[in-house]
Amino acid sequence: MTRRLTVAAILALLTVVFATRTGVKAQAPSGPVEAIVADEKGKPIEDAVVFLTPLGTTPAAPPSSTALMDQHDKEFVPYVLPVYVGTRVTFPNRDNIRHHVYSFSSAKKFELPLYIGTPAAPVVFDKPGVVALGCNIHDWMLAYIYVLTTPYFVKTAADGKARLEGLAPGAYEARVWHPRLRGDADKTGKPLPLAAGEPAQVSFVVSLKSEWRIPRKFVEPYRGS
Amino acid sequence: MIRTPEGYPSLIPPRRGGSVATVHFPKVRSFRSFRGQLVVVFVGLFAVILATCFLVVAAAVRANARSAINEELRLAGTLFVRQLEARSQQLLTATRLLSGDFALKTAAATADQATTRSVLANHRQRISADVLILLEPDGTIAADTRDPGHQGAAFPLPRLLEAAEQTGDVSQIAAMDGGLYRLAIVPLLAPDPIAWLCAGFAIDDRTAVDLRSVTNLHVSFFRRQEPGLVVQASTLDGADREELQRGLAGIRRDGVVQLAGQPHVVRVERISDDVAVVLQRPLAEALAANQGLFRTLFAVGGAGLILALLGAIVLARRTSRPVQALVGAAQHVAAGDFSATVSVRRRDELGELGTTFNAMLAGLRDRERVRAELQRAERLKRFFSPQLAELLSAGDESMLASHRREITVLFCDLRGFTAFAEKADPEDVMRLLRDYHTTVGALISRYEGTLERFTGDGLMVFFNDPVPCPDPAARAVQMAVAMRDGVQGLLDEWRRRGFALGFGTGVDMGYATVGRIGYEGRFDYAAIGTVTNLSARLCQEASDGQILVSQRVYAEVENLVEAEALGTLALRGFVRPLQAFSVLRLRAARPEAAPADARSRQPLSKDEGR
Repeated sequence: MTRRLTVAAILALLTVVFATRTGVKAQAPSGPVEAIVADEKGKPIEDAVVFLTPLGTTPAAPPSSTALMDQHDKEFVPYVLPVYVGTRVTFPNRDNIRHHVYSFSSAKKFELPLYIGTPAAPVVFDKPGVVALGCNIHDWMLAYIYVLTTPYFVKTAADGKARLEGLAPGAYEARVWHPRLRGDADKTGKPLPLAAGEPAQVSFVVSLKSEWRIPRKFVEPYRGS
Repeated sequence: MIRTPEGYPSLIPPRRGGSVATVHFPKVRSFRSFRGQLVVVFVGLFAVILATCFLVVAAAVRANARSAINEELRLAGTLFVRQLEARSQQLLTATRLLSGDFALKTAAATADQATTRSVLANHRQRISADVLILLEPDGTIAADTRDPGHQGAAFPLPRLLEAAEQTGDVSQIAAMDGGLYRLAIVPLLAPDPIAWLCAGFAIDDRTAVDLRSVTNLHVSFFRRQEPGLVVQASTLDGADREELQRGLAGIRRDGVVQLAGQPHVVRVERISDDVAVVLQRPLAEALAANQGLFRTLFAVGGAGLILALLGAIVLARRTSRPVQALVGAAQHVAAGDFSATVSVRRRDELGELGTTFNAMLAGLRDRERVRAELQRAERLKRFFSPQLAELLSAGDESMLASHRREITVLFCDLRGFTAFAEKADPEDVMRLLRDYHTTVGALISRYEGTLERFTGDGLMVFFNDPVPCPDPAARAVQMAVAMRDGVQGLLDEWRRRGFALGFGTGVDMGYATVGRIGYEGRFDYAAIGTVTNLSARLCQEASDGQILVSQRVYAEVENLVEAEALGTLALRGFVRPLQAFSVLRLRAARPEAAPADARSRQPLSKDEGR
């Protein structure tokens, strides 16, 4: 309880600081935005990235940040990592074996040849787009880094829901992306006007493609032992 | 003299036809005869049954062989398809392995075209594939080991790519650019699909030969090309390929195709939409196993046919032989020969027929014999007394043999006949003789005398031979009286005309030798002995109207007649004088004295005659 209060206090402080520093006239934020993503059958979709783009204005770039893409038990964690463009992502290897992380995606082509521990230099994702991550020696390892041009994004939980708070009131366009999204994320846009202090809701019904992921069980039959 | 046109008639009845042996049968023609027909029908029926059995068995065997081959081909087809699938799976695995290569991924994702092609060429060798193609996710060719110029062109098998998109990967035999390939398409995952990797193995004649080792059957790959199938690879040589291709029209799954004049059972396995594999085997190979059966069948059938033929011939002979015998006998009968008999020793209808036929023949023979006897008797009666004629016609020739018998002999002749014959016209002489003979002839018949001879006006008659009678002397005397009376009436008429004619009679009795005398072709029945001479002398002694009898005769008939003794006569040629009697008339007639109808009397046996 005290912890949560502390977090809230820090967030409030940050907001104030942020507002003060950007010179934007301090203004009451909009209420929480609740996003729900489900497929055609109403099944909630996890790991969908809901992102809001303010209309008419260019959102102020957040200070450069870092993010983590762990490799744990021969899996990437998290499966989907949305980042603001320019974010530096480190790939710490928490397994006791090496991994060979690579991406041939046009948004970011890179390769971290077999390594243990955390590579010295983080990878900067400076182009928006989808970066599919793989491991050369573990075919089933698959993760996505979604590089966004807006700082307002959130990832849905297992119940398909996500919550976004502290946005300035105004006109936004809400969009959704998922690694298996059928079609273009840019075309999922929905206008979302946000009023000060008022909660908003946005829901997406999306269609997913089948997964190409190579099943792990066939590769590691003795995993349990 | 007794004259007969034929001399003494033979006592053996004449035959009109020849002997049995010489009767000619018409020759039996092979197939028109009853026997031939029987054999033909019997053997024909058997042959038809045999042929039917053979055809049925042959059809069953063929059907069996066909179904055995079909089953074999079906199994082989299943095995073959599985083999193909296994090979496809191998190819898929190899291709999938290849697609995991990081350098390939890297090259595909980042490097230039030349490098990508180079990697592909290198990797093609790794799995010994004939072709390796890298496809963009949208299906355009990114790189092709066959021809760099293919880059940018659309993949020729979009449906295969669709299938790969559906299922993740695909392996299939497909026709591509005029050739057949076993193709595997797998995604290039990095780790998202960034491209498709398509590996292909050409299917050519070598492949077919290689696959033949699996099933030991001829293998042909066909590509669908409207309106039919076109051979792409095969273990067959050129001419057979063409024939097979033509023969496949209209065969969906199983069928028979003529290759080089030999029927081949084929099975079509459709392994994809436009590719089919045809397995085949010569029907003769499967039928070869049944050759032994057919040989046995032929041998048994042939033996059966021969046995049936022999049996039919034997049966036909057994059946037709009595029929032919009956026909032959009937022909004898038709020719008038009733002597034949048929020998049919059977218990069936034919045997009955034979027995009946024999009975009929016996009846005919009896009738014929009776008829012949009657005829002969009629003839004989013209020359003999009815009794002799009957004896002769009954075939009793023993009478003709020379024998001694006591007989009563009567001689008579006309007095003055020689003078009359000289004076009178020959016509008158003949008329007189005819009337005279008619008169005495009737009496001889009536009294059953045996006319031994007549010479013009004289004649000799004896009794008790050859037919014995109980009273020969009485009969002779009675007949003599009857003759005298009958002839006197006749002579009266001629006397009135001026011809002095008289009638004298002599009768004696005694033993004489009687029988056939003469030579072959001319015989008489004659009596020789003193009795004939004495009666002739008595006749000579007799005057007109006088009946002279000897002492012995008179002793026999003295109760019947009135006579006067003439005392002792010295007759010429006789040493001892003879007591002679002249019969004047018969005593008052007793009913039994004169025989009634001669025919009513039964001839007596020789013993009774004594």
